[in-house]
Amino acid sequence: MAVSALSRWAREAPVPVFVAIGDGMRERVERLFCDPGIERAATPRHAAILLIAGRMRLEDREDLRRLHDQMPHPRATLLWDAKVGEALGDAEIFSGGTLESDKDAGEAVRDHLERLWQDLASGERPSEPDLLHDEPPNPWEGIGPHGQGGKGMMGGTPYGRPMAMTSDDLRDGLALDTYTARFGPFLPMFPPGLLLEMTLQGDVIQAAKVLRPPLSQKAEENAPAALSRLARLLDLLGLPALGQRTRLAVAGDRSSSTLEKLGRAIRWSGAMLAIPPGLGAVEGQGDLSARLNDLLAVAGGSSPATRPELPESAHLSSLLPGLEWSEAMLVLNSFDDKTLSMLAMVMDEPDEERDGHDHDGDHMRHDHGGHHDHGGSHHEHGRHQGEGGQGGHGDYGSHQGHDPHGSHGGHT
Amino acid sequence: MEIVPWIIIIGVLSVLWIRGVHSVQRSATAPQQIPFLGGGTPDTHAWQRYHIRYYSMTLLFIAFEMEMMFMYPWAVVFVEEGGKAMMEMGMFLAILSIGIVYAWREGLFRWQ
Repeated sequence: MAVSALSRWAREAPVPVFVAIGDGMRERVERLFCDPGIERAATPRHAAILLIAGRMRLEDREDLRRLHDQMPHPRATLLWDAKVGEALGDAEIFSGGTLESDKDAGEAVRDHLERLWQDLASGERPSEPDLLHDEPPNPWEGIGPHGQGGKGMMGGTPYGRPMAMTSDDLRDGLALDTYTARFGPFLPMFPPGLLLEMTLQGDVIQAAKVLRPPLSQKAEENAPAALSRLARLLDLLGLPALGQRTRLAVAGDRSSSTLEKLGRAIRWSGAMLAIPPGLGAVEGQGDLSARLNDLLAVAGGSSPATRPELPESAHLSSLLPGLEWSEAMLVLNSFDDKTLSMLAMVMDEPDEERDGHDHDGDHMRHDHGGHHDHGGSHHEHGRHQGEGGQGGHGDYGSHQGHDPHGSHGGHT
Repeated sequence: MEIVPWIIIIGVLSVLWIRGVHSVQRSATAPQQIPFLGGGTPDTHAWQRYHIRYYSMTLLFIAFEMEMMFMYPWAVVFVEEGGKAMMEMGMFLAILSIGIVYAWREGLFRWQ
């Protein structure tokens, strides 16, 4: 009884959907999520339905399969004009080509999502099986004296991935663990399709490289596009209610009085004060607060400002390092689509990105051999502990022993 | 005693909770075990050491707070004890000021 009551309640709850946005679909997807009956989940872990909207690149399919497998059971997939072939197994397909307008298509998709969710919650529709193999990326079980996947305190590959190793921090030169990962292509706070390989220490970005450019959206830069960009920035600034108001203004009433009230509410929220001056400054484009002011002017009724062309040298790989994660997300979302696609061009760098960049404090990276040959450097750490008598502090001791600069003060 | 039923209830709940967490962890597949990166994959384990940037600020706060903690009772007995108490406080402040000098060297007083 209790279980059937729970499933009945679940059916009436908003549909938790994780969306992967493809070619030119962002506007339509954002309009879809204005509906209170559909909830945009921040991660696949919180979603029951994966919505794949728009055409995808061939190389994105593996990532889509991974997103699918990261959803808990019961789960379903809906392809909205996605054309990904058989990559997602036997997913539901919705094709909006036969419908007359965008609005009709949006409503049809919403109905489709709700029907899927009700079938899932009542158990009428079976959950979709895994698409990827359930295997760790590297073998690890049974290796090492306790079967933990490694030899020393820091070595090995527990759960199939090597442990992080130290390298110099950009800000103050402390040698701390680096975390290199490919972020995107369907991270909700990223422009859809953008895949960045970033190296982080804590929340500070040390290096960034564009692996795949963002998928092209509708390129025209008009007032609705500027307003939806403003809504995304407001969400990132921690003002989701104002973001939602902006989105509703985009979808419906764009009269001057509504926009005026909205602009006033945003100014009074103090969002501008939260942005440090000079953040994300690009020659000719101003800094982040200048770009946000432009957007607010659009919200106030003036036409979008035209900025001069980007300088050749401007690129995300030089713009993002040194920023904290939250700042970097604001900067990424503050450009219009055309500017961003120029900033995020894939560059064929000579093969030196592993060993060093042109910023200070990288001279120690080669000491540790990057993050790929963990085996070798782990053994060194282990030897240091054994012979050097660094004390019982394990990795902290060997860490200090490795630091060729002796103190932190020397870097500042 | 009224505490016994509470102990039993909390015990049963925690056993259920631990079993629940355990079963979720065991049923997580390899793709579910990696952090959510929007479809991307990490190179390394997520277990890592990172810089707590407020660390030196905390150190400075504790240095000044300890000073205050000792100064209040010291002020009460200072008149009775006289010069001896004065010397003791001088030693105490000298030790604490080493911490402050260290924080100074770390560049803590340079506001950016």
